[in-house]
Amino acid sequence: MSPGPVTRWEAGLKVTGQAVFAAETPAPGLLYAVLVEAPVGCGTVLAVDAAQARRTPGFADLISYPEAQGLKPSSVTALIREPTIHFAGQPVALVVAENLAAAQAAARAVRVEAEARPAIAALGQALDQAYTPATAGRNPAESRRGDAARALAEAHLVVRRRYETAVNNHHPMEPHAVVCCWEGDRVTVHTSTQAVFGARAAIAHAFGLPAEDARVVSRFLGGGFGCKGQLWWPWMMQAMLAARRTGRPVRLELTRAQLFTLAGRRSETVQELAVGLDADGRLTAIDHQVLAQTSTHGEYADTTAGVSRWLYACPNVTTRHRLVRTNEPQPIPMRAPGTAPGTFALESALDEAAAALGIDPVDLRVRNHGDHDQEAGRPWSSKRLLECYRVGAERFGWAHRPAAGAAGDGRWRLGSGMASTFYAQHLQPSRARVRLAADASLVVQCGTQDMGNGAYTALGQMAAEALGVPMSRVTVELGDTLLPQGPISAGSQVTVSISPAVAMATAELRAILAQLAVADQASPLAGQRPEDLDFADGLVRSRTGNVAEPLADLLARQAPAGLEAEGSADLPQVQTHSFMSHGAVFVEVGVDPDLGEVRVRRVCAAFAAGRIVNPLLATSQYVGGLIGGIGMALHERTVTDLASGRILGDNFADYLIPVHADMPTFDIALVHEDDTHLPGGIKGVGMLGTAGVQAAIANAIFDAVGRRVRRLPIRIEDILGHPDPRDGFETLT
Amino acid sequence: MSDDGRIALSLTLNGRALDVETPACATLLDLLRDRLGLTGVKKGCDMGACGACTVLMGGRRIKSCLALAAACDGGAITTIEGIGTLDDLHPLQAAFIRHDALQCGYCTPGQILSGIALLAETPKDLAAIREGMSGNLCRCGAYPNIVAAIAEVAGL
Ligand code: FES
Ligand code: FES
Repeated sequence: MSPGPVTRWEAGLKVTGQAVFAAETPAPGLLYAVLVEAPVGCGTVLAVDAAQARRTPGFADLISYPEAQGLKPSSVTALIREPTIHFAGQPVALVVAENLAAAQAAARAVRVEAEARPAIAALGQALDQAYTPATAGRNPAESRRGDAARALAEAHLVVRRRYETAVNNHHPMEPHAVVCCWEGDRVTVHTSTQAVFGARAAIAHAFGLPAEDARVVSRFLGGGFGCKGQLWWPWMMQAMLAARRTGRPVRLELTRAQLFTLAGRRSETVQELAVGLDADGRLTAIDHQVLAQTSTHGEYADTTAGVSRWLYACPNVTTRHRLVRTNEPQPIPMRAPGTAPGTFALESALDEAAAALGIDPVDLRVRNHGDHDQEAGRPWSSKRLLECYRVGAERFGWAHRPAAGAAGDGRWRLGSGMASTFYAQHLQPSRARVRLAADASLVVQCGTQDMGNGAYTALGQMAAEALGVPMSRVTVELGDTLLPQGPISAGSQVTVSISPAVAMATAELRAILAQLAVADQASPLAGQRPEDLDFADGLVRSRTGNVAEPLADLLARQAPAGLEAEGSADLPQVQTHSFMSHGAVFVEVGVDPDLGEVRVRRVCAAFAAGRIVNPLLATSQYVGGLIGGIGMALHERTVTDLASGRILGDNFADYLIPVHADMPTFDIALVHEDDTHLPGGIKGVGMLGTAGVQAAIANAIFDAVGRRVRRLPIRIEDILGHPDPRDGFETLT
Repeated sequence: MSDDGRIALSLTLNGRALDVETPACATLLDLLRDRLGLTGVKKGCDMGACGACTVLMGGRRIKSCLALAAACDGGAITTIEGIGTLDDLHPLQAAFIRHDALQCGYCTPGQILSGIALLAETPKDLAAIREGMSGNLCRCGAYPNIVAAIAEVAGL
């Protein structure tokens, strides 16, 4: 009998409302915190007058710059130690009171005196100050192989375009929260973070504590997508200061509006892209120049042009990232950082090239397949992108799609488009502990987090499979710095990073158990060779003979106190291969040419990302990622008011994210991929779905109504406005 | 109303009669989540735009962040805690697990309560489910599986 798919380990807790998120941590005597925001978008705080606030009923304390001076200076504490106002909405103080309403009233009564300076409220206001940072993401900001300028001058076809993408915000459904409590000089911090150990290190540094005196707990995270990291920590620390001064637990929960300013954003991009091809559709040159925004208090750039370095074979590639500092919130990685805006540009340009050359878009990509990593000069550890094209095209029915502009359905013009997607795989060091009780139940522990990505399930499954224990007998513990240190939840790295640590711990347990069994005269396995034993279906059994015994029986006799092992994995010293996961996304859209409305009707995507630990959960991750990409393509745009520097429409009524009614049908193909170079043959799946789909949608719109849209999100006015005169091609032969 | 601006209320909460006092300005969401410890009721926006705070009032779904607690006197309110337990799941809760209709789980109680109320409205097809569920946002993107779970229970 087949056991059926393994469902999400913690699903029962979530569907019954029993999963406790940070803000819900019970804490007797709790005080409620509210942030006081700066009155200007750029300047200096001169005074924070709390006299009136102190007289409001229920007021307990106020933390501002003077109260934060005891914290060690660092990039994390700068915003709460230094009275410089960098952006509109920046908190300048935190008020705590007996209940939320009292805290809100007290916060309103705080008078902030500030000296205002002229703010730069948009990238376009300071183009002359653009600069090249040292890095874009974890990569150099500039790259050059071959001579792109010369190859462009000699190319048969050049597509030279500008692509623009808007600011997006992550918006996990759970706003960031902290409930913190001091006992003497020790502190327990329940908070929404994608990095419990990172948060602990920051706290220990700021407060001058030994790391073991700070405990950070994040058992359940209501989404993260990149924003539950260090940008939140200053405000979390302000709440911790209030808790220490008042001697009471304090809770701070960001408001939805504050998720537009305090938790990070995907930067807007302006991308100047030129691709050169020969008459056969082979890429001869790519020049990819990216301009993006960063803040006046921090620096971050996505590797947006990475797509041009890695996705295709091309001898001549030049890329450069530049940043402009503005008085706006700080960008950080968000779902498919870099690859989402980057693939939009390159995969749109390749669609134009395919049309100009009369080559099928899939065929064009196949012709440009990169069989090794040209940028690093290394082989891929595995790459089944060609199979993704084949499987995706077949399941979509690509070969039988109607001619461009030919299909309709009532008021809708139908079109099909496709694009590639990819994401670089990185590893983190990790530890894990596995404990087997005498009744053969299993506890797996790792100080990583589950933000909805399935870490509980993956960890449990890996240990359960290795020891032949059913999932119903497994308990998984995550999200606590009392556990062995695990990876941060980012960059699709968790499953692959914890895999070797779990493998090591379970291998040790298997070896001990095998020794115990063969040496135990009471066991039917007595006298067997330990290396001949395996573990499955709750049994220890011999692979050669027909002997077996229940694991629980062996444990009861030989290890009544249970057994425990820890595993750890460091990063490989030398990297011999490049690691990348890939996919091909096919989309059918309907466009109403009179109303300018765009609906995604069908998405068919094939992904190759190593060994899939849990197909059910991986498919959910892919679909969720694609939906995030649809939001970026058609809905999401954060706008700064140029006069005040404030975010306009900082709520879900104005900042649109996809809802049920926006959903197309999804068909996801998991393309089998063996990878012998990555631990467990595993790659990440989380980021893959969120890139590629934007370009596939734009390409499908062109197929439907003959209009190229090179700006995200694609809005009604982009469909209805005058055609862009740049829609022609620049052909140089 | 008492002298300190508090209001006495009688509710039927998850089938049990309950008398509580609440500040006149408190929302039903804050009363349930903060005062009564029913933390299965989630706060996603506090502005009626996300559906995370959905509860049933007399069997109909409402956004508890938009309801003044004081206006709910005499009401019968059901939260996720009153729907089913780990050992005794409501069919829609079980369907959510089977279909993997959740990822982070933060929107999930609201989706389930909204789905239960929608089932009572007998949606006729998948499009009607999508339409009827569009007040419940899910940033993880569990939408197709949520609709599949509701459709299964609806027998569609
Ligand atoms: S919290 Fe009530 S609708 Fe968002
Ligand atoms: S499951 Fe995360 S918001 Fe819906």
